[in-house]
Amino acid sequence: MIQLTDISKSYGKNVVLKSIDLTVNKGEVVVILGPSGSGKTTLLRCVNYLEKPNGGEIAIGDYRVQCKRATKKEIHELRQRSAMVFQQYNLFKHKTAIENVMEGLVVVKKMPKAEARLKSIALLEKVGLADKLDAYPSQLSGGQQQRVGIARALALEPEVILFDEPTSALDPELVGEVLAVIRKIAKEGITMIVVTHEMGFARDVANHVVFMDEGVIVEQGPPSELFHNPREERTKQFLKRITPELNYSI
Amino acid sequence: MGAPFDYSYVFSFLPKLLSTLGVTMLIVAGSLLVGIVAGFLVALPRLYRIPVLNAFSMVYISFFRGTPILIQLFLFYYGLPEILKLVHIDLSRAPVMVFVILTYGLHTGAFMSEMIRASVTAVDRGQVEAAYAMGMKGHQAFLRIVLPQALAIAVPVFSNMVIALLKDTSLAFTLGLMEMTGKAQTLGNITQHFIEAYLALAFIYLVISFTLEKLLLRAERRLMRHEVPESAARKRFRVQEKLSYRRIIAGIRPEKGGAEL
Repeated sequence: MIQLTDISKSYGKNVVLKSIDLTVNKGEVVVILGPSGSGKTTLLRCVNYLEKPNGGEIAIGDYRVQCKRATKKEIHELRQRSAMVFQQYNLFKHKTAIENVMEGLVVVKKMPKAEARLKSIALLEKVGLADKLDAYPSQLSGGQQQRVGIARALALEPEVILFDEPTSALDPELVGEVLAVIRKIAKEGITMIVVTHEMGFARDVANHVVFMDEGVIVEQGPPSELFHNPREERTKQFLKRITPELNYSI
Repeated sequence: MGAPFDYSYVFSFLPKLLSTLGVTMLIVAGSLLVGIVAGFLVALPRLYRIPVLNAFSMVYISFFRGTPILIQLFLFYYGLPEILKLVHIDLSRAPVMVFVILTYGLHTGAFMSEMIRASVTAVDRGQVEAAYAMGMKGHQAFLRIVLPQALAIAVPVFSNMVIALLKDTSLAFTLGLMEMTGKAQTLGNITQHFIEAYLALAFIYLVISFTLEKLLLRAERRLMRHEVPESAARKRFRVQEKLSYRRIIAGIRPEKGGAEL
């Protein structure tokens, strides 16, 4: 279970997050929606401390960190309990696909190389890249790179995987293959927090949808409710704008 | 000036000059070593923006980049012993080589530090974030992820610096050090065949520079192997792959993993 309590973040006078509370149950897929600049990516990056929150508490599983006085050691512990899939993939450019997946296992989890290799091969097979083990990121398409990124995150067996707009940088025709992989692992009961603009994906895969705007959570609930019966005016506006196909008459 | 040109002297000078090649290479190797260490020490405060040390680094870099190497050689050779005399350290018996390596080392260090700073800064910030996100510690992320990529970026610059350093060592003769250029002058003086001595000298510098360049190019290719350029055939294949993929994806409904096109 992931619990964020009273998380706040500001850059100078610019307040990005205003006292956010969010609970994610084990095995749940939580999708965070919202217009750009609403703080959703910042919130996600606070969970693994890539952004330092100004205050609040982060708990992953039974590990709790008070943000104000988090030590290096605590941050390191916290980061080992999560994994992240980035918008720009951020694969290690000087390592092959399999080396990218093995890296965390060998360096962070101290797994013997041979064992790490077998596990990495299995994971790359799972994301459909069994034939690309020795390819460098520069030789892979965006979709393939992102699938390696997902395999890399899975390898660490984290308590939660954080997806930061995993399909936003992809060519439209490559979005499908990445979403298909995320769907597949969602079914396996891995806890995920996903920031995305893919409404179809959110509707089908999420157990819980969070709508953020201007640094606060405006509304949250199961997707059936939030999409079809939003309570807040701001949510209605947003959904109307982002799913224009509903209004088109051809 | 001197005796009439006789090309046979060029050949007879070659082995004599090569006998001092060791001295030149010792200056190059020693200075590189000093330079890399100094470069790192000077680059770190600038990379991590350490308040006071940062200012020191900037003064150091301005001085060594902004003054001619010849002046630096004189300042160190004649000036340093005088200053150290004040604190009762006697350097008058120290070999010239020490001053030469120190000066060239610190000189190269100034350029090295800028090279290191630029290369480390050039590594994509996302690479470090990915390393941290998977639970690596600061030093692991630096040594395993940033440094290898920074090295690959640095090699072409480093290669230029080594060659510049090699050629700069020819000024060490001004302090009376018998390296290759010093030897060439002596040979010219004795035989009065100056042009031949300098021709032979230029030839040797050229061969060494060329060899160093090729070696470092090989190192660069090795470090850059992750940026393999695609062959034309592969590119064509990929275009086709994309086209057929586009057709397949377009046929799948979005909710089944396809995408709206």
